Amino acid sequence: MAVFLQSLISGILIGGVYALIGIGLTLIFGVMRVVNFAHGDIMMVGMYLTYLLFTLMGIDPFVSVLISFPLMFFFGGFLQKVFINRVLNAVAQNQILLTIGLGLIMSNTVMLIFTSDYKILTTSYSSSTIQVGGGVSVSTPLLISFLITAAITAALGWFLLKTDTGQAIRATAQDRDAAQLMGINVSRMSVIAFGLGAALAGTAGALISPTYYIFPQVGGTFTLKAFVITVLGGMGSVVGATLGGILIGVTESMSAVYISSGWKDVVVFVLFLLVLLFKPSGLMGKSRT
Amino acid sequence: MYKTLIKASLGLIFLAALLVIPRYVESPYALHMMILLFLSVSQGQSWNILGGYAGQYSVGHAAYFGVGAYTTMMLMYSRQVVPWVGVWVGVAIVIVVALVIGSICFRLRGPYFVLASIAVAEIMRLSAINLTTLTNGAEGILATEIPAFKIGERVITDFLTKVPFYYIGLFLALFTIAITYWVQHSKLGYYFQAIREDQDAAHSLGIHITVYKNIGLVISAVLTSLAGAFYGIYVGFVDPPTVLGLDVSVQIMLICIIGGMGTIWGPVLGSLLLVPLSEALRSNMITEGLVKIGLVSADSRIGLFLKENLSHAHVLLYGILVVLVILFMPEGLMGFIKKMAPRRNREAV
Repeated sequence: MAVFLQSLISGILIGGVYALIGIGLTLIFGVMRVVNFAHGDIMMVGMYLTYLLFTLMGIDPFVSVLISFPLMFFFGGFLQKVFINRVLNAVAQNQILLTIGLGLIMSNTVMLIFTSDYKILTTSYSSSTIQVGGGVSVSTPLLISFLITAAITAALGWFLLKTDTGQAIRATAQDRDAAQLMGINVSRMSVIAFGLGAALAGTAGALISPTYYIFPQVGGTFTLKAFVITVLGGMGSVVGATLGGILIGVTESMSAVYISSGWKDVVVFVLFLLVLLFKPSGLMGKSRT
Repeated sequence: MYKTLIKASLGLIFLAALLVIPRYVESPYALHMMILLFLSVSQGQSWNILGGYAGQYSVGHAAYFGVGAYTTMMLMYSRQVVPWVGVWVGVAIVIVVALVIGSICFRLRGPYFVLASIAVAEIMRLSAINLTTLTNGAEGILATEIPAFKIGERVITDFLTKVPFYYIGLFLALFTIAITYWVQHSKLGYYFQAIREDQDAAHSLGIHITVYKNIGLVISAVLTSLAGAFYGIYVGFVDPPTVLGLDVSVQIMLICIIGGMGTIWGPVLGSLLLVPLSEALRSNMITEGLVKIGLVSADSRIGLFLKENLSHAHVLLYGILVVLVILFMPEGLMGFIKKMAPRRNREAV
């Protein structure tokens, strides 16, 4: 029972960070209908940013979120304005290829600068744990990152529901043309949405950097995971992405314990295929054709 | 009439030149480059049939490439099955795999299909890592020697030089080009193109979409697995990232996209551009060239940096090329050339 609880709790904690990556992707898809294949690589840029801030200036990875969030926001906005914006009306395949290309450029530029060595960001609390009782313990960095994730998700929810800009973004996601007719600056909303998506991915990168290896090719796995999460939750649904993230986190940690850690990603992908087959609109999504 | 005659004779001369090259060129490096070129043409052409003609963008072709390479190598390594028999076992397995993948993935469209194809390829890669008893896991399989190819008692070739590989590669490249030509000019090809242009319209005209998509996938997968088996035997080593990684899928796709999808010569053009470029980067030829013409001094910081890093930069180059192609010539090089060609030529084509 202790093992079960243990893996459930760590699954939920890591799932929170996954949710953050998934929300970013789903936001971008919702507003622009662009599937961003560079999402994991944007997260990887966030990891290296955190690494730099930590090694050069000694800024704690969790504090550096305050710096990396706005920086990644501008990075995302730049990507949208310069590249993505040009293919908004192109066929889906070209959008996918463009983002794949951008991802390759990011990961290989980082590789040229930092080499492909694995980097580890060691903080004083990297391997510390908190005893919860009943033989269950929680990793401190994971717990902190989960709390930050929860705070960011709540803030994002407030932004999307209560502010004018947030409502404009949701309107654009619902119906781009109608939103434009209502006087919403649709192209600005796209820049903001992509910026937010990138900032969320970058933040997720910052949050996992104390517990994860940092290397240029780390993005690929996370791009795929982000897709699994968003498809599971329903493309374009923020609530769905949150649920999807936690579900994937739990699935991963459970299958690592009860099957084997080598097969945990296979379990996730099989689950993904099953969802695609039987409920392609996801858990929370409305079906769109 | 004249034009076709000239075209045909030029083609024959070119073919004859390709056939006699190994007699006169002894440099193993030059042959190696040609073999890489043939491999790239056959990879690009295989993808072209499904992606370019039928419009189904698979980003998971590494699955077929890897299964072809792994089956042949595994059979040779643990069962001593000669590769030219093993290849066909690989093809048989790939057909089954493709049909399974097709029945799952072709229910989905657009981005969902792309995602599913990636997921399947990743499942393959992770299985190759984890099924250690079968695949030797992350260590990969190393084949130290390839048995000689005999008919009866007569040794046809012993695979000691690169020459037999050159001819196999050439045959494979020509074969895939021929298949593409056949697809383009057959009823099957018209069905594919109808599905690419408008799936629903094609369906309403009575084309059984799922059946034809699966046919396209099987043709494409079989050719890719042949290329994979050839790669495995030629290099003599397979491991999960080099034959099953996501990079492999992307590279296969890029050859075709950069050259021009849905055209016969697009993948050839793409290979002619990509293979020399990435080899020049990999072997540090570009840095040496820059040093030679005196642009960069060999021991300056920039020189050392380039020397150290440019050899890893070929994937970066792929990335830049894709972005440029999508933004500025979405029809690929072939489309770009056609657009640039004067109007009367275009009418003639």
